[in-house]
Amino acid sequence: MQSFSSMSLVSGLVCAAALTGASICIAGEVGDGATINPPPTAQAWADLAKLPDWSGVWFPESWMATTARHPPTWKPDVVRDVEQLKALEQAGHPKGLYVDCLPEGMPSFMIMTLASTEFLYTPGRVTILNEFDGNRQRRIYTDGRGHPDDPDLTFHGHSIGRWEGDTLVVDTVAILPETYLPISQAVGIPNDGDSHIVERIHLIGPDHLVDEMTIEAPHVLAAPWKVTRNFTRNRERIHDIVEGSCRQGDFVEGKDAQGHAAFLPVGHTEDGAPLPPDQSRPNP
Amino acid sequence: MRNFNRLRAFEAPRLRGPAFALALAFGFAPATSFAHHSFAMYDPAKLVTLTGTVKDFEWTNPHSRVWLITGGLDGKPEDLWSLELPTSPGNLTRMGWSKHSLKSGDRVAIDFNPLRDGRHGGSLKKVTLLATGEVLTTAAPATAQPTK
Repeated sequence: MQSFSSMSLVSGLVCAAALTGASICIAGEVGDGATINPPPTAQAWADLAKLPDWSGVWFPESWMATTARHPPTWKPDVVRDVEQLKALEQAGHPKGLYVDCLPEGMPSFMIMTLASTEFLYTPGRVTILNEFDGNRQRRIYTDGRGHPDDPDLTFHGHSIGRWEGDTLVVDTVAILPETYLPISQAVGIPNDGDSHIVERIHLIGPDHLVDEMTIEAPHVLAAPWKVTRNFTRNRERIHDIVEGSCRQGDFVEGKDAQGHAAFLPVGHTEDGAPLPPDQSRPNP
Repeated sequence: MRNFNRLRAFEAPRLRGPAFALALAFGFAPATSFAHHSFAMYDPAKLVTLTGTVKDFEWTNPHSRVWLITGGLDGKPEDLWSLELPTSPGNLTRMGWSKHSLKSGDRVAIDFNPLRDGRHGGSLKKVTLLATGEVLTTAAPATAQPTK
């Protein structure tokens, strides 16, 4: 186990108030404004062994269970949009949150992933790897830095973390406003900007990890969305992360005009289901 | 072995002139990005069983896929079906499948939830290999994510 204060000493920093999204680092060589990541010391590598054991491959519970247990509280004018999407899904015409194969982003990376997940420790960083839709990743900086003053907006946002005992507390900002707050694969609302997510990730059993999220999205949520995702540890190699591309299914293997192996496009329904060539146009 | 020539659907369309028009007629879409879609377009209340021959088994992300040929007997025309498995090769491996589970020419009976609009697509639930009686399902193991 590693305390917050000892981690700070490892990186030469004393930081506070990470929960507010405005970490303050009052000392150290790699704080805000630093441009260099110094080479880790032997002690920094050794200190990783004191962190809780999150090795192995983690498999998430069903997202259906997650979002049913912890539904968000939408703003009144957004409820109408959610109900329309639910009706579309029920009628078999899903909007589909990920049909364009853009990164699912945060918080979907944690709430909706449906495949193997890994947590990697290296000095100054926790990296989360995910098999889902393109082997995407999150980088959580634990070297004491704060958020950039003027961050580029991204699907996964900018994440900084610190250890409170055996709990990794992660603060994420700078998430693209188009990124969804999902409650199913066909129902979700863009966060519309200014989203802020705090996570408390920790073990609650030998092979049971939880990510307790508090999601702020003031333009669409009436109150912060508190949602917990459960993960189960697997050590069998059958659970190792494999390649997870998002668009291969848009194609079939074939030959190009020169006779080379090539991916050739497949027709779809308007909602994305593949179809035989003579069925591919929507019904009149 | 059956003659699949009539269903040689996957040759590259030439992108000029009459052949391009033919490709459009076959419904080859431009490079739209669809692959990871919800399965709500399949009707979970209906379970259809078709017996036929595997044309191709695609061990593909994000959803693997069986192209199934039905009909073609007693002078009846052949039909081609796209039957999607409801998850990825990684998760299917964890359910006991492999890229060798099915091969072209296998005679199979497949249970699936059909497209609601009647076109030839479905969400695969169970395959029975007629030669051996082996059954493969897409039921998730206890530690895994339920499929769609």
